[in-house]
Amino acid sequence: MIAPSASTLSPQLPTPQSVPSLRRMDDSSRGPISTLGRAVLNFINYFGQLGILLGEGFESLVKTKPRLHLTMEQIVRIGFGSQVVVIVTGAFTGAVFTAQSYFKFRDFGIESTIGSIVSVSLFRELGPVLTGLMVAGRVGAAMAAEIGTMKVSEQIDALRAMGVHPVDYLAMPRFFAMTISMPLLIAEAVAFGLGASWFVAVLGFGIPSAWFWMHTIDHTNLEDLSYAMTKGLVFGMLIVVISCHQGLSTTNGAVGVGQSTTRAVVFSSLALLVTNFFLTLLLNYIFPMGTIT
Amino acid sequence: MPAPPSAEPAASPFIQIRGLHKSFDSQKVLQGIDLDISRGETLVLVGPSGEGKSVLLKHIIGLLHPDAGSIQFDGTSLCGLSERQLAPLRRRIGYLFQNAALFDSLTVAQNVAFPLIEAGIKNPAEIKSRVQEALEVVELDAHTEKMPINLSGGMRKRVGIARAIVGRPEIILYDEPTAGLDPIVTDVIDHLIKRLQKRYHVTSVVITHDIASVFKIADRIVMLKNGIVYFNGNPDQLRHSPDTFIQDFIAGRSGMTS
Repeated sequence: MIAPSASTLSPQLPTPQSVPSLRRMDDSSRGPISTLGRAVLNFINYFGQLGILLGEGFESLVKTKPRLHLTMEQIVRIGFGSQVVVIVTGAFTGAVFTAQSYFKFRDFGIESTIGSIVSVSLFRELGPVLTGLMVAGRVGAAMAAEIGTMKVSEQIDALRAMGVHPVDYLAMPRFFAMTISMPLLIAEAVAFGLGASWFVAVLGFGIPSAWFWMHTIDHTNLEDLSYAMTKGLVFGMLIVVISCHQGLSTTNGAVGVGQSTTRAVVFSSLALLVTNFFLTLLLNYIFPMGTIT
Repeated sequence: MPAPPSAEPAASPFIQIRGLHKSFDSQKVLQGIDLDISRGETLVLVGPSGEGKSVLLKHIIGLLHPDAGSIQFDGTSLCGLSERQLAPLRRRIGYLFQNAALFDSLTVAQNVAFPLIEAGIKNPAEIKSRVQEALEVVELDAHTEKMPINLSGGMRKRVGIARAIVGRPEIILYDEPTAGLDPIVTDVIDHLIKRLQKRYHVTSVVITHDIASVFKIADRIVMLKNGIVYFNGNPDQLRHSPDTFIQDFIAGRSGMTS
């Protein structure tokens, strides 16, 4: 029985296979220009699909009520379920950064200032980026796999057949949960990073605790926290949009679910790293470093 | 073979399909389907595997959109409607998927309650009683708390039927409701389809390969072949058709010898 699964998010959403120009290029020449052209078209097509998903998400935000029960369920999965990953990431990043800084700073006799560099680094870069990457691996993969499995087993078509928009039911609760959880997870990672830093610096290398905290508090301010929270929010949105899109676009059975899961992690991680650079420039303009003492 | 004279009643059709074409890449599946479905009738779709019966069913509920042609549902054209515009129409339709498509994360009772909750019914007692009633019909009322993974293929199919009927839809689309079921349960499902028709005047469109079921439940039979309506008539017309393909199909003759 021919029963090709219905299109991804909505019947209007194009896929590379459904765009005739892309299909023709697959079949025709394999020269470098054609390969480059195909890659560019696929790239544009991909962003088009993300745009459609965002549009549907916005429509859902405006036209439907949030599904609180599903959102809470996702917060538990994303937030509570990521505790071990986030705590270990934050703590060991803080610990190793403290150790590396100490080995260099002691040459200059400024090892007591370690707390300041660790704190600023954790708030501004290491906390958000490393937590983001870990969450992309854990949560993004789970989202893509779960939604992808629902897609290939016609559960998403079943939702649609019952008049339920998959974006309302699957994507939006994850979006809300992620935007709430991610900043909190980053704050937690930074807190455990600082705790581990104190542990290594004070108990391991004998730096006076008072000095450690004085430098940490002196050089950490509200802007650093805003930096971390903003990055957490943006990274959370990136991970959830990319992962849900991968899940909703899944075709080709179990193999397709595997591919979508891998793509969700890879694309989320790359998008996070690239966005981080531009976001850093923008945030540094808004919250410049070194102006407040 | 041209389709014999239609056995459709003269009343305006509940569902009207005209010139429906659908291709997937280079594969032409539907090549100009014209079909009317009247309120309250049980129409059985038959035909060789891969001839687009499920594809046609998915067009009726708007899960697939045609390349060309039109589908009218109770006077409303489905073509060009967005997912959100289709939602109220879809709530009037029950759909049984070929593999049941139960939600893995929900129990049997939660799966069956899903359309009721989504339709805005908030009274837990009403939801519970309607879920119980639907599960009793398919003889699964003792399995409400099981997860779909713990059910056999036949049980999953029956939960899918319960989910399709629980919202008391005006039309139910069954994609192979009795495939994989034992003969007794198949008979139960066949009687259920007829009972829903008699008691609630439910329109049914049923895809099946079970010829015994076809003659038991059909008011009208449509056979798809090569992407078009090859036969459209009542069970007697099918049974007495002079067409050799139809007779071979009914008798299950492949022409092969061992």
